Amino acid sequence: MASKAASPVVEQYNYDIVKKFALMSLFWGLAGMSAGTYIASELAWPFLNFDIAQITFGRLRPLHTSGVIFGFGGNALFATSYYIVQRTCQTRLWGTGFANFTFWGWNAAITIAGIGYLMGITAGREYAEPEWYVDLIILVVWVVYFLVYTMTLLKRNQPHIYVANWFFISFILAVALLHIFNNLAVPVSFFGTKSYSLFSGAQDAMTQWWYGHNAVGFFLTAAFLGMMYYFVPKQAGRPVYSYRLSIIHFWALSFMYMWVGTHHLHWTAIPDWTSSLAAAFSIMLLMPSWGGMINGIMTLSGAWDKLRSDPIMMFLITSLSFYGMSTFEGPMMALKSVNALSHYTDWTVGHVHSGALGWVAMVTFGSMYHMIPRLWNTTLYSLKMVYIHFFLTTIGILLYITALWVSGIGQGLMLRAFDEYGNLAYSFIETVAFMHGPLVARAIAGMFIVTGLLFMLVNIYLTITRRDTVENTVAATAKA
Amino acid sequence: MADTKSTKPTENTSNNKIKHEVIKDPLTGVETTGHVWDDTLMEFNNPLPTWWLWAFYGTIIFSIVYFIIYPSWPTGLAEKGYIAGTSEITYKSDAGEEITTHWNTRALLAHEMQNDPNELKRQTMVKKVAATPLASVVKDPQQSQFVLAYGKGIFGDYCAGCHQTGGQGVIGDYPNLIDDAWLWGSDSVDIETTIRKGRTGNMPAHKASMSDAEITQTANYVLSLSGESVDSAAAEHGKKLFNTKGCSGCHMPTGVGMKALGAANLTDKIWTQANVPAAADITAKVAAVKTIIANGFKREMPAWESRLSNDEIKVLVAYIKLLSAE
Amino acid sequence: MMKHESIETNAALLIVLTLAAISIGGLVEIVPLFYIEGTVEDVKNADGKDAVRPYTGLEQLGRDIYTREGCYNCHSQMIRPFRDEALRYGHYSLAAESQYDHPFQWGSMRRGPDLARVGGKYSSSWNTKHLIAPRSVVPESIMPNYPWLQKTDLDTSDLIAKMKTLKKVGVPYSLTKIEYDANVEKFGEDVAKKLDINAAEKNLMKDAKLGNFDGNPDKLSEMDALVAYLQILGTMIDFSKHDEAEFIKFR
Ligand code: HEC
Ligand code: HEC
Ligand code: HEC
Ligand code: HEM
Ligand code: HEM
Ligand SMILES: [Ca+2]
Ligand SMILES: [Ca+2]
Ligand SMILES: [Cu+2]
Repeated sequence: MASKAASPVVEQYNYDIVKKFALMSLFWGLAGMSAGTYIASELAWPFLNFDIAQITFGRLRPLHTSGVIFGFGGNALFATSYYIVQRTCQTRLWGTGFANFTFWGWNAAITIAGIGYLMGITAGREYAEPEWYVDLIILVVWVVYFLVYTMTLLKRNQPHIYVANWFFISFILAVALLHIFNNLAVPVSFFGTKSYSLFSGAQDAMTQWWYGHNAVGFFLTAAFLGMMYYFVPKQAGRPVYSYRLSIIHFWALSFMYMWVGTHHLHWTAIPDWTSSLAAAFSIMLLMPSWGGMINGIMTLSGAWDKLRSDPIMMFLITSLSFYGMSTFEGPMMALKSVNALSHYTDWTVGHVHSGALGWVAMVTFGSMYHMIPRLWNTTLYSLKMVYIHFFLTTIGILLYITALWVSGIGQGLMLRAFDEYGNLAYSFIETVAFMHGPLVARAIAGMFIVTGLLFMLVNIYLTITRRDTVENTVAATAKA
Repeated sequence: MADTKSTKPTENTSNNKIKHEVIKDPLTGVETTGHVWDDTLMEFNNPLPTWWLWAFYGTIIFSIVYFIIYPSWPTGLAEKGYIAGTSEITYKSDAGEEITTHWNTRALLAHEMQNDPNELKRQTMVKKVAATPLASVVKDPQQSQFVLAYGKGIFGDYCAGCHQTGGQGVIGDYPNLIDDAWLWGSDSVDIETTIRKGRTGNMPAHKASMSDAEITQTANYVLSLSGESVDSAAAEHGKKLFNTKGCSGCHMPTGVGMKALGAANLTDKIWTQANVPAAADITAKVAAVKTIIANGFKREMPAWESRLSNDEIKVLVAYIKLLSAE
Repeated sequence: MMKHESIETNAALLIVLTLAAISIGGLVEIVPLFYIEGTVEDVKNADGKDAVRPYTGLEQLGRDIYTREGCYNCHSQMIRPFRDEALRYGHYSLAAESQYDHPFQWGSMRRGPDLARVGGKYSSSWNTKHLIAPRSVVPESIMPNYPWLQKTDLDTSDLIAKMKTLKKVGVPYSLTKIEYDANVEKFGEDVAKKLDINAAEKNLMKDAKLGNFDGNPDKLSEMDALVAYLQILGTMIDFSKHDEAEFIKFR
């Protein structure tokens, strides 16, 4: 900020806002994933709840999910979307004040919501836990975000809107729609925190999972594809693989995601037709999802060697592989017969994290490593530390997912196991005991990932602080 | 429209000359679309991968078949408001009527409960055990094996929360089911009633009606009933109190208890409330019994008739009998 | 493919078309649920009254504690129509059973058992003991201890405001004589009395005293409310009085 005031001309791009969001993303990443590791440990060693209301599993879990999705993911999306829209439109971000408002508003909303969870203030619906007043802040922020983004698009100096921006637009519109309808609620009092959702029972469930699934589809997928579409070709120095694939998979994805929410409600008291519709559309979603993976990975054709030499590229390509894996696993789990086993078990949680960690977190790390040095006009402090980060994260994720396949499929099979006489073979508590081992492994996996993240934070810190030296050197050379 | 200006050539950024030219990639020989962003961002004009396209068509065909088979589209036109699909399920209503309906999850369960061979085996065995006298069940290896297997899962999910996994209970809270002492009677009929209807055990508090010294004396007497070496003088007084303060009304003058009230047998060395076995010495034992006499206690065994059929309850009774016999 | 040129060079068109693409799926899946019969069953008792009633004041406050503590993160309240679930948890859940649930708490994870029919499964004293220290009764449990529930007084100050709010979102609590009479018609006199907002505070005190859910009759604790809620779960419909075909045909 200070440097901007001092400089007589306005910089070509508004990097200030991108920097702020990028740093906040890393902050929330650390907070959210530490919380994730902590709740993972609570499940492995329940004494860690310490009889302190604020940190019991039930209250801390939403802090983890909101912290990583909206804090880490959200800030990363703001940062990269603002960066990408400026660079691909070759124009400065519209409305500096408005953009700053989105920064403060968004982070205030997450902070207020997060503190609220610890105090027991929650709307009680997954990923939509913030209470009504936070929902209102988010709504205003989102409208302003849409405004800033579209106005920037409109004043672009490029005839074509780059594919990354299509995905961001789709994401912004969808999240607005979802947020508004899913959070319809009546507050108990104007000064109180509590509200009751407008819908009840089956309709409430349907609305919530229409939202919940598309929080995945647009927040954690479409938007991150936007991120991918910029950083993968940039980092590879190669053109995107197929323009036509971009078009088809973009429209197919945007259209089909919205149909499949009910795959979270298979076999419940929801009418069967909604469930079938969702299952079939989930299957049809597989190839459109893979379109993004193909376009990303194939972009590397001609530059495969980068996979060995460039740890940033390794992050990006591994993320695409996990993306491909989780979008294959997802449609399988959306089949009613598979879901009968996987639903309510750790298999779901494992699937979540192959998407959320493998795809979302990894593509974010890769993109940040690419973007941050450019924002601060410097080079990365240490590539070796990026390697270390990469390996710790990959090992962590693989351990995480495998452990939860074991515990999820194991529990699912145990619960439906019958003996030769048709009796239940196991009681529920036996499955709890069975899951102890995998849950310990998962907690350890979390520690790997957080340790990796600490390497990143140190690396980024040293990269940013080194800027002074770089600038000084440049200045000194100029004087001499 | 603001967009009209976007068709202008975009020369105004200093570091960037945009050439909207199609470039042929020297590595792969593929052409780009000619669009260039941010200096270096371009797109190849590769066709859709054929395998991808065919796989996509494949999933669409799969879905169409799926839509034909299962209830899926809310047209508002069909009878139910949605198209019910071609797949059908036949099941029997409770009234015995055979009904065929479009595929739905509930009919599927009814069908499975009525046709799955494994489930039918369970139902047959339940009926068989329920109809067989307990003594014969114990002697028949197949039946007793079934009872143990049946009990394991159901007891684990329904009963172990209180009576613990092995049925040993928790002294003070939930009675032990594998010892020889029964509050409400050891008959299978008694046990069946216990499970079906539930029980409320109620030992009244006596601290209002008895002094501390009296309670101590009574406690000494109660312990003497099961052969503990107590202060005999105190026990002597206690004996009188036992009969005058109402104890004998429930526990009988001899202290053997009364199953109609669920009043514990005080002579059998088995304790369900007073944690006498854990007490180190006689003082601690007296203290444990005193607490019960002074404060009394009330505890409840839930009724299961709304969750389990009579036959299933009979199998559970057999299970408990087998457990305590082992 | 080349026609796409006109979309990707026109931001307004891109926005409008995207909006169209993302709106259809949700509309088709959700809107019919509000009008198609076949979403929520109409379950009647033998006397023709509704089997499922809204929660009493005490139960609703308990439910609010259930959401506050985030129990839904570990417990589902939705029994699926499977053989194993039928044996383990009881009759599958009907949509009718959560028709007054704002918000729904079906859950998506079973760290612990399903709670849709936990009402009456244990004694209230067990529930209290279990909530204070789960491992004291179930050694292998991984559920957190909730000792503060027993120690904290139940806040009833916003009871009336809460019931009035729930009334706004469609729960048939009554304020006027007309509404009360309608409830008598719908649920019968006994239930109608429980749903009368004017008597809510008195009813709550009475329910808590009578139920003695936390084992301490002299104190109205959060435990009283939470256990009262747990004890009603899944108990409203007497399935032995219904032919299974009734619920299947409904589908
Ligand atoms: C909420 C806790 C709880 C659950 C669950 C429970 N019980 Fe009990 N059970 C008790 C208590 C408390 C008593 C003692 C009642 C008394 O003191 O009179 C009891 C007593 C009994 C008795 C009588 C013991 C005697 O000495 O006469 C039997 C038999 C029994 N339970 C079997 C079962 C079975 C079988 C199940 C599962 C289907 C079960 N219980 C579930 C709490 C429970
Ligand atoms: C109204 C009937 C009633 C009266 C009067 C009564 N008891 Fe009891 N007592 C019971 C019942 C019922 C139980 C078992 C409760 C249960 O297990 O749930 C019991 C249990 C006990 C126990 C615990 C036994 C054990 O196994 O741990 C002791 C000790 C005892 N009574 C002593 C006394 C004495 C001494 C008196 C008189 C001062 C007395 N009781 C009066 C009904 C009565
Ligand atoms: C960390 C996960 C976790 C949280 C949070 C949790 N529970 Fe549990 N719960 C369990 C597990 C595991 C069991 C099975 C073992 C046991 O009975 O303790 C269980 C069992 C139960 C049972 C007995 C169910 C049965 O049928 O045996 C009840 C009732 C219950 N929990 C209520 C609650 C309530 C109310 C809350 C919130 C205040 C809650 N739980 C929070 C994990 C959890
Ligand atoms: C084609 C793509 C996908 C499909 C069809 C799909 C399908 C599914 C299914 C069927 C479930 C299980 C629901 C249940 O049983 O409760 C699920 C859960 C979930 N998925 Fe996916 N998935 C896909 C991709 C992804 C990706 C890429 C991510 C993450 C970035 C993701 C995140 C999640 C989350 C967070 C849940 C858990 C929801 C909850 O219960 O809280 N999914 N998905
Ligand atoms: C160190 C890394 C992480 C660890 C150790 C971790 C751990 C956990 C744990 C223990 C849970 C609770 C699962 C349960 O209820 O059993 C959870 C849930 C969840 N986490 Fe993470 N997590 C991590 C990173 C992330 C990231 C980066 C994201 C998203 C970007 C994420 C998204 C989620 C979601 C959406 C859920 C809810 C899953 C569901 O409801 O099915 N997590 N995580
Ligand atoms: Ca006994
Ligand atoms: Ca979930
Ligand atoms: Cu989904």
